[in-house]
Amino acid sequence: MSRADAVTRILFEAFPAAEVRLFYVLGYAAIAAFAYGAYVQVRKYRRGAALALDGGLARRLGDMAALVLTHRTIERRDPAAGRAHRLIFYGFALLFLGTATITLQYDILDPLFGVRFWQGGFYLIFSLVLDVAGVALVGGLIYMMYRRGWLRPPKLDYARPDRAPGDPDFDRPQYRREDWAFLWTLVVIGLTGYVLEAARLVWLQARPDVWDTRWWSPVGALLAESFRALGMTDHAGGTLRHGLWWFHGLIALLFIALIPATKVKHIFTAAASLMVRDPLAAQRLPRIPESQAQPGVRTITDFNWKQLLNLDACTKCGRCHEACPARAVGAPLSPRDVILSLREFARATLESGKIPQAAELDVHGKAPGQVAQETLWSCRTCMACVEICPVAVEHVPIIVQMRRKLVEDGAMDPLLTKTLQTIHKTGNSFGESKRKRAAWTKSLPFPVKDARKEPVDVLWFVGDYASFDPRNQKVTQTFATLLHEAGVDFGILYEAESNAGNDVRRVGEEGLYEVLANANVAALAGATFKTIVTTDPHSYNTIRNEYPDFGGTYRIQHYTTFLKQLFAEGRLRVTSPLSYRTTFHDPCHLGRFNQGYDAPRDILALLGCELVEMTRNRSNSFCCGAGGGRIWIPDPVGSEKPAQNRIKEAAAIPDLQVYVVSCPKDLTMFEDALKTTGNEGRFVVRELIELIREALPAPRAEEATA
Amino acid sequence: MKILVAVKQVAALDEDFEFTPDGRDVDPDFLIRDLNEWDDFALEEAVKIKEASSTPVEVVALSVGPDGADEILRKCLAKGADRAVRVWDDAVAGSDPIAIARIIAAAVRREAPGLVFAGVQSSDQSYASTGIATAAFLDWPHAAVVSQLTYAPGAATAVFRRELEGGLLHEVEIPCPAVFTIQLGINTPRYASLRSIKQAAAKPIELMSPAELGLDSAQIGEAGSASRVRRMYVPEKGRAQLIEGNAAAQAARLAAIIREFKGEGA
Repeated sequence: MSRADAVTRILFEAFPAAEVRLFYVLGYAAIAAFAYGAYVQVRKYRRGAALALDGGLARRLGDMAALVLTHRTIERRDPAAGRAHRLIFYGFALLFLGTATITLQYDILDPLFGVRFWQGGFYLIFSLVLDVAGVALVGGLIYMMYRRGWLRPPKLDYARPDRAPGDPDFDRPQYRREDWAFLWTLVVIGLTGYVLEAARLVWLQARPDVWDTRWWSPVGALLAESFRALGMTDHAGGTLRHGLWWFHGLIALLFIALIPATKVKHIFTAAASLMVRDPLAAQRLPRIPESQAQPGVRTITDFNWKQLLNLDACTKCGRCHEACPARAVGAPLSPRDVILSLREFARATLESGKIPQAAELDVHGKAPGQVAQETLWSCRTCMACVEICPVAVEHVPIIVQMRRKLVEDGAMDPLLTKTLQTIHKTGNSFGESKRKRAAWTKSLPFPVKDARKEPVDVLWFVGDYASFDPRNQKVTQTFATLLHEAGVDFGILYEAESNAGNDVRRVGEEGLYEVLANANVAALAGATFKTIVTTDPHSYNTIRNEYPDFGGTYRIQHYTTFLKQLFAEGRLRVTSPLSYRTTFHDPCHLGRFNQGYDAPRDILALLGCELVEMTRNRSNSFCCGAGGGRIWIPDPVGSEKPAQNRIKEAAAIPDLQVYVVSCPKDLTMFEDALKTTGNEGRFVVRELIELIREALPAPRAEEATA
Repeated sequence: MKILVAVKQVAALDEDFEFTPDGRDVDPDFLIRDLNEWDDFALEEAVKIKEASSTPVEVVALSVGPDGADEILRKCLAKGADRAVRVWDDAVAGSDPIAIARIIAAAVRREAPGLVFAGVQSSDQSYASTGIATAAFLDWPHAAVVSQLTYAPGAATAVFRRELEGGLLHEVEIPCPAVFTIQLGINTPRYASLRSIKQAAAKPIELMSPAELGLDSAQIGEAGSASRVRRMYVPEKGRAQLIEGNAAAQAARLAAIIREFKGEGA
């Protein structure tokens, strides 16, 4: 057995001094190239607009580390890719740490302080760990190659829905080349590492401190045994080791040098992006600072540094591309390609020494790197992209900021222009008189309190669709009846209520949103109440998440949680359980935006309904197409609408009876889609409120006459 | 070169409106006000000429109306008008389109624009005479219901088209200065974002009284008008009803109605 301290990593053994010097020169050159590349990237981000982040650095670092170490966001909806990435990540990280430790001892601690730890038992265990790490790395990489080469998931197809074949940036073959170059480079580094290790073992087989401990590097030892069996002499091993040492070393150095210029940089940019993540990115859009002359984003430097960083964090994993309802129905939008386009634009304009003239920085248009109007207007702001992005790219605020510029220029659908003018004039999107907002109360057999005049427990914020749309008015009346029968002390704001502004803000008409939000906050300030309840998830979102920025902080509940509470308190009781076979559509603004996944399902269970989930449910719910102001913009004739796509999904459920919704806009969108997809008569679309009514005792006699 | 655009704040009926006590108008509380749609097109046309011009063009929006009309003038400023002028004092109330045109003509003399644009008509009162009467007071040539206009700022003439019955187009040349009443559809009025309207609030709106324009009280208000509104009312609705049911039921009901009319009772 060899002496313990003789057992150590063989580094430059038998290298002439000149070669060692050359290696150091190359090593420093690689580090310098990396540092310069990193500087160029950081300079690019700093050319964006300023943004102050809230929250402590330590918390952000902790959250990021947790996400990176658990891979929680990477494995979602693609567990196999998540597992492979985990193997690559941990393999790479351990190998990197191992190499860094060698440097630490060899170049710093030993020469300066004479400290050596890379020997004996510690070395052997590390050797074993690194050998296993290498297997993980190579295994993960090979799966990724198999995935790209054979499985070919559609989300990895770089063809763009907003470009036509023949356009210079249509399917971007350079991305594919880079992907493969990345995989091959790492595989070659990994495999040559093993062969190098084996060659070293064969070469030094006569040295017991090397040879006797070979099984601590099991893969290398196995290869070495094979080489020996094939007749490799120690001399041949030495020659092979010398050549491979340089080959392995040079690729590794090249890899380091190129990190900032290639997709490898996601190691840093993705981590940084996760660190600066805004958990309410889509739910609470940014205000326009008073000092800002032009609203929204016109040029690439109008994006803030965080958004520019977001662009570089994208790994083209395609999850947002897959989740996007606009993309799914063939609209010229893929959130992935908005990000990648802008990334190319930023690279072309902001990585050089001098920033080009402002005219060359305009991100709006149809040239490569620019984003077209039709693309921006295709967005439903449903948040599916933001929600699934594993690296915290925040697409929705980027798109809305760009829309703000379009709105300022009046570059929008004429019907949308008209609707915005109508909302400004009347306070609602239906163009109805303010006085008619509470007209639905007139046919109720009981009065609805005017919360402006008397205190109430529950202030019901009704919202536009529930107030004015005739089909939804029936649901609204039913909800009023439920509250009345449960003995809830509730009232409404009557004509003091305005459109809540959620969708106006997501259109990009921030000035009008401010008018609406301020009007509602003022109206709410004039009422005395304990909590706000609304049946409209859109109003719910903006009041809950955005009104605090306008001085209005309230307790607010969506009706599903409120009614669930009434059931729990025994104020509502199911007397005739329903036995419908149902499916439930999560509204974007209730589910993804505000995690209201459970209450509607719990209520369905209370009612006795059987719930069969659609494939896309909860956080993966598929937008009805009405969000982001798209309810005011006609969909192109002849193309599938998101709501139709969704109804077809539901229609695949055998013997489905009721498609349950809990959002006024959903009721409108899906009743329409039910008819246009020819599914009328097969099942019905109903508001959860209507099912609840059906399961409760019949209205009291004096009310039934209403 | 200057273009003056005469704009009006029009009113639309709100739900369940009431009349004023004198029965000659709707109670202002029940009106929703906005920029007259035709005037929106007229303003856009002026701003388009300004934007296409290589020489400076000033667009002045002018309205004869009370304080509330500032709102539409701000909208005009947001859409690209350079200045806004409002003419008012309480004596103007009760003016018919002729008296309003007299005030506008006085303001035009003072501003001395090269062109005057007005909408063909207002959406609330539909007289379609203010623009034309303005031309008459100025003794300028005029063109009514213009659906296309070609004018280079400073040119001695303008060429415009008008749509005639049967799909015909009329192309006419007219010496300037002149008054044009602009038809819907001549262009696509731009959207004034709320932010731009808010920013326009910082710009001044020049307020003038008819007296400052050299008009005396006999020339404005009811005294200066050629017509006077006597009353405003909702006409009685015609009485029609659909009789439902099968033939026998319908016949029985019809017979009953006839008996009612004859005073025989049911």
